[in-house]
Parts: sequence; structure tokens; C-alpha cells
Amino acid sequence: MKRDRLLLVLYLAALVAVTLVHDPLALALGLLGLLLLAGRSAPRLLHRSLRVILVFNLAVSLGYALLAHLRGFSPWETLLLLNLRVLFLTLLTFLFISRVNLFSALDFSPTLSWLLALAYSQALSFQRAHADFRLALASRCLERPRLIDRYRASAAAAAWFMDRALATARDSALALRARGFFDA
Amino acid sequence: MLELTGITHRYDGCVALADIHLRVNPGEKVVLLGANGSGKSTLLKIVAGLITPSGGQYRYKGEPIDPQRLKDRALCRRFRREVALLFQNPDAMLFNPTVFDEIAFGPRQLALADVDARVRHWAGVMGLSDRLERLPFNLSGGEKQKLALAALLAVEPEVLLLDEPAAALDPRTTGWLIDFLAELPVTLITTTHNLSLAPELGSRALVLGEDHRLIHDGPIEPFLSDTDRLRAANLVHSHRHRHGAIVHRHDHVHDWD
Repeated sequence: MKRDRLLLVLYLAALVAVTLVHDPLALALGLLGLLLLAGRSAPRLLHRSLRVILVFNLAVSLGYALLAHLRGFSPWETLLLLNLRVLFLTLLTFLFISRVNLFSALDFSPTLSWLLALAYSQALSFQRAHADFRLALASRCLERPRLIDRYRASAAAAAWFMDRALATARDSALALRARGFFDA
Repeated sequence: MLELTGITHRYDGCVALADIHLRVNPGEKVVLLGANGSGKSTLLKIVAGLITPSGGQYRYKGEPIDPQRLKDRALCRRFRREVALLFQNPDAMLFNPTVFDEIAFGPRQLALADVDARVRHWAGVMGLSDRLERLPFNLSGGEKQKLALAALLAVEPEVLLLDEPAAALDPRTTGWLIDFLAELPVTLITTTHNLSLAPELGSRALVLGEDHRLIHDGPIEPFLSDTDRLRAANLVHSHRHRHGAIVHRHDHVHDWD
């Protein structure tokens, strides 16, 4: 089996396996192992992972801590487990993406390669659009943007991306249907 | 007014602009031509002080400009008021809850006394007076383009940078835009890959070739009649024409917006 495909299989197996681990210490050790595997890129990948999960995990953790407080039970072990697991999965994914050529890993299946190409082109086009939204806000602000303007700009961008994603998904589905993708 | 010296830019190792030298004087109306991907938008973003070029220097009124230098609040405030960029995708620029707030966004930052009058003036010019309470997101593509332009003009910039402004417009609105821009007393740089529109947008052409270098800087008419250079810039193509029984092939332009 070629390297990229083998790593894909290992990655998928690790995703399933880590959901079966309920010991925070084991997860922490696993996380340490990932950082060692990442080598020199460990700080960059860890920073990126923390940024990605920060808002979502903070919201979930605070909500759970509040619920635990109101119902009178200790939330700490669950919160530790949850946050370690999410961080592990995110870091693992970033590490996987940085080391594996997905196109090569999926080249055994024309269908999967096709879907990956669609997703990848979408991601690139959204990345460019996201950069434009950020620069457009900067270009219209004579001062550092206020928090309310940033919220509004983020909300407008989110609405645009959602709208565009739905339209593109609809077009992609029609294009796939036209090319016989759903006929098999 | 604007001076670019040896500007080079790369994205992820790929060249977007190579060794660009140019100068734009106050009041000039310049058309920036080039095929898709030649670096037109990147050049405008550098001139708008939004991205730092990988090499070379950009000066505005003699002052070096890049995002780092624009952290100086006084410089940023002056530069952002004087130099405005209309993005190719107007959605990127619209984030306020109503059309009124969108146009008022710039004047409010300047704490101008006549915000209401400015908004109504520019809404009137752009034909948006009956849309002032509407959500910008729900406007048509052409209306969004006009709204974004009104929002920029409300602070009376000295330099207006327009990135493919006619790309999303219907023919009638395109005609209106050409007339409007011709009368506008600003320094104007407009990008397009539509050769039939180009002479209407300015008398001086800057042309970016496929190698991302400036291959022409001068009057637009001689360039438009130079087939070899048009071909080098990937701005013309040839295909078979059928006129009844006669079939022939030659270089020509299509307006493909």
C-alpha cells in the first residue's frame, strides 16, 4: 500500500480509536506523542489548533460548567476529557493534512478523487473570498475597526459564504447529476 | 501622486507581479489591462496599502505606504480617506445593517456634520434613494456595486481604484458608469479585461502581460491596434468565423463579461 493511503487508513483508525479513550492522562500522553511526531512544526500546528477550537470549546465548556454548577456536580473531569479530545483530533487532522497528499491517498477511487477536487476548489475559492472580506473591511476603516464593525463584517461574510455555499452545492450536485455521477 | 518602483509580489511562491515601475499623476484616468490572473487585483491592493509587496517600494504623495506603515493612526486616517478601492466582489465591502448606514459608515468615522445630506446625495446619484432602509445583502448585484461606490465616494477620496467595476453590471448600468466616471474629478485607476470598455475608462493604459510584467504604459489607442502585443497579453484570440459558406480565422476580441 502506498504511503499516503496507508497514512489515511491510520488517520481514520486513530479518529475512531480516540473516541474510545476516556482517560484524560492517556489523551494527554497521546497529545504529547502527536507534538513529538510534528517535530519542528509542532508550535505552529498547536497554535493553529488552539485558535480553531478556542471559541467553540470555550462556549461549550462554559455552558457545561454553568449547568454543572446549577445541578450541583463536578464538571472538571468531563471538561478536561472533552477539551483534550477535541484538541487531539484537531491537531491530528492538521498534522495529517500537512504530511499527506490527499489526492494521492484517494487516487484508487475516481469518485472520491472527484469529490476531493470539488471540495478543494471550493476551499481555495472561499479562502480567496475570505481574504477579500478582511481587506475590504481594512480599506473602509479610517481607524482600527470597532468591535461592532468587526461583528457586522463577520456576520455579513458568514451570510455571504452560506449563500454562496448553498448555491455552489446546488450547482455541483446538478453538474454531477448531468455527468452521470448518481446513475451508478 | 502614486509611484511604484520595482514592485514584485509572490503568493505561495508563485509570481503575481514582476518588477513593476509606474507613476500616476493627479487627475489621471488610467486603465489597467490584463488577462485573468495577470496581477491586476494584486496591484490595486498594493496601491490601496492592503498588502505588502514582496519587493520594491510604493509611495503615495512621496510617502512610503504598506500595511505596516499604515499602523500609524494619522497616516492611516489620511490615506484611507484619500485612497479608496472598489473590490471586484462588492459583497466583500458591505456589512452595515442598512443602505443608509453603509453610505454613512465613512462620513461617521470622520465625524462629519453633514452625514445625512451626504448619504442622501450619493444615494440619489446612484439611484438608491428608495432603498435606504433596505439590507444591503438583499440588493441586486448592480445595486450592490453602486452602493459600494456610493460608500467610497461619500468621503470624497482623491484616488479611486476600481477592480473590474463593470463585471457584474448590465449594459445600461455599464453605460451610466462610464459617463459617471468620466465626469468624476478624481485620480482613477480601473482594471478590466474587456477591451471594448477600456478606451472609455481612460486614455492611458497600463498592460500586464502573462509574465506579470508591465508590457505597456502609454496611450491606449496604439496598444489596442497592436495585434502582437494584444496577443502577448492574451487579450485577443482567434477562432473560425462562419459567414454563410465562407469560413475564415483571425484575431479578435470578445467582450466576455
